Amino acid sequence: MIWKIALRNILKNSRRSLTTAFAIGIGGLAALLFGGFVTSIWFGVQTSMIQEQGNLQIYRNGYLDFGAADPDAYTIKNWDQVVARLAADPMLAEELTMITPRINMVGVAGNAETGNSKTFIGTGIVPAEIDQMRQWDGWQINQTTPATGLTGGSAEDVVIGVGMARMMGLCADLAVPDCQDPPVNEAANASAEQDFSSLVAGESELATTDPTALAPQLNVMAATSTGVPNIARVSVMSAQSQSVSAIDNAFVMMNFEEARTLLYGDSQEATALMLQVRTPATLEAVKTRVAEVIAAEGLDLSVYHFTEVDPTFNRIFGMFTFMFIVVSLVLSIVIVFTIVNTISMTVMERVKEIGTIRALGFRKGFVRALFLTESVLIGAIGAALALVSALILANVVNSAGIQWTPPSNATPLTVQLMVLDNPMFAIGVVTTLIVLAFLAALTPTFRAARFNIVESLQRA
Amino acid sequence: MNTVYAPETFEDGSTARHAPEPVLRFENVSRIYKMDRVEVPALQGVSGSIARAQSTFVTGPSGSGKSTLLNILGLLDRATSGTVDFLGEDVTQLSDKAAADFRSRHIGFVFQSFNLIPVLSVRENVEFPLLNHKMTARARRDRGAEYLEAVGLGDMMDRRPGEISGGQRQRVAIARALVSEPTLLIADEPTANLDSKTSRDIVTLMERVQREHSTSVLICTHDTDLIMPASRVINIIDGKTVQE
Repeated sequence: MIWKIALRNILKNSRRSLTTAFAIGIGGLAALLFGGFVTSIWFGVQTSMIQEQGNLQIYRNGYLDFGAADPDAYTIKNWDQVVARLAADPMLAEELTMITPRINMVGVAGNAETGNSKTFIGTGIVPAEIDQMRQWDGWQINQTTPATGLTGGSAEDVVIGVGMARMMGLCADLAVPDCQDPPVNEAANASAEQDFSSLVAGESELATTDPTALAPQLNVMAATSTGVPNIARVSVMSAQSQSVSAIDNAFVMMNFEEARTLLYGDSQEATALMLQVRTPATLEAVKTRVAEVIAAEGLDLSVYHFTEVDPTFNRIFGMFTFMFIVVSLVLSIVIVFTIVNTISMTVMERVKEIGTIRALGFRKGFVRALFLTESVLIGAIGAALALVSALILANVVNSAGIQWTPPSNATPLTVQLMVLDNPMFAIGVVTTLIVLAFLAALTPTFRAARFNIVESLQRA
Repeated sequence: MNTVYAPETFEDGSTARHAPEPVLRFENVSRIYKMDRVEVPALQGVSGSIARAQSTFVTGPSGSGKSTLLNILGLLDRATSGTVDFLGEDVTQLSDKAAADFRSRHIGFVFQSFNLIPVLSVRENVEFPLLNHKMTARARRDRGAEYLEAVGLGDMMDRRPGEISGGQRQRVAIARALVSEPTLLIADEPTANLDSKTSRDIVTLMERVQREHSTSVLICTHDTDLIMPASRVINIIDGKTVQE
């Protein structure tokens, strides 16, 4: 009977009830859409980073703490044997789709033709394996990252950042859009050329460009593990934007073998091993198993989740989560005040009814239950409106193919408002709206239950 | 139809109907309202009793304290002083919950302006007080229909209060007051909003109810023409009993 009375009173005051339900619905809609966007960030940014770095990474113990100062002291020795041991484990063989090495390096790059030179931040990867990693779509969100452009090419091929191309004066040669080569400064060039020439003095064939080369060339120089400068000539295949400007201005991605030979000669060393799991659900189990294999083999290595190595994802997700909380709080306040107003008006209109109900022998609790039920029903209607409208709007937005570039990405992601992809979130929003409706109605309903019966009955 | 209050048999073989035993006694009941700093006495030491299975009329001019007395006897208000004894129990100090439960079990109310719940149908209005009793929905429905039949509204069960006349609404209110089979039916100016013919019909209905259900009926009215023969009358003027 309480539900019947509540529902009929809602229908009786349909305009007011609908207005309140709409206010709740709009609040819920905003929360669901923004939450759907945050969910898409959770999936999308993680997918991007896993495509680039793998779910797990193995480093020599101490690398993350001290490796930046002395990277050569913290390399993984005989990385190929480590990979073989991991691949030999039945569980890892089943769950891992990729184990690939990476070398992080810094050095100096120079363009013998223009005389430009600068430091670079390099990474050595196995292009075919990285391209395969970039197809990873563990959450089935249909998100892929463009290929490196190095697969199938020569070992000397490299990709550089757009900023790096600008610094090296390769914008025109690489036909990089929105990229302008620096103005020629003959005096400075002469000096820089002199400096770099002196560095490559022992490699006289590198002092001039190869006129037969099809791609622009750079000389990259880095210190070997014994501290001896080593230099190589690489062909720049393309320039690709990097997410961080400082990286973009210095980025060089080269073949793993080229980087390894440059730094370590014949020694099979790598900075890290990147591991990609087949499905995210098995990640923790895989990580545990990798740690067990490493321990069983007595290797001086540790395995990390990619977020432990690079805090970018946690920061981005934390920032959007915080924004979501703030927005939700503001929306909650609006919703609460709307409900308080509505239920207060309903109570004031039904003072006589409250007096009658009490006179008929119903306790205060019944009066409270009556109005709380009404508020909860309005909340449920609002929540239903929010859910339906969020699904419709999300569908429209998702179909529009709007793109945005998160701070961690060089390439844009398509906006996907994942309203139902995280069912617990959608259920949470709907539940929160109903609970808010309940809580907001507490004050006016408790006040209603305390009305003096005689005075209530005397109301017109 | 169930008898509300079975006639009580005494040692000499008489029943309550023949030897009216008060269901309610009130002594020295006073009610003082405080308006700002001024104390306004609405009742001043009123005493009396309500006989079992009889009709009692409370009369007096407007503002004399009739409704105040009914509110106190109906456990809707508390006396400032004095005692109210209901079925042998002092009800003046009952807690809010206990008073509500007592009203639910023993008292039915008929109000001047009917006070039906507008969103409920006529039958649902009558069933409504039974929510306080442990009854199945089916039992409530049947009992509600039974009492609506008794007040002559069996063919209007599914109508809303707004779809029936004032007299019919008051009949619904009477059915609602009786459906819990109370010991005492309290009616505060039940005919004030009705025309004279309908008023007479309502009073006749209440008289019949009192007779058929052995219910004590306490009616407050300023219209002495409505007082039924053989009824007890408590006349109040300026908050004092001047005649019983």
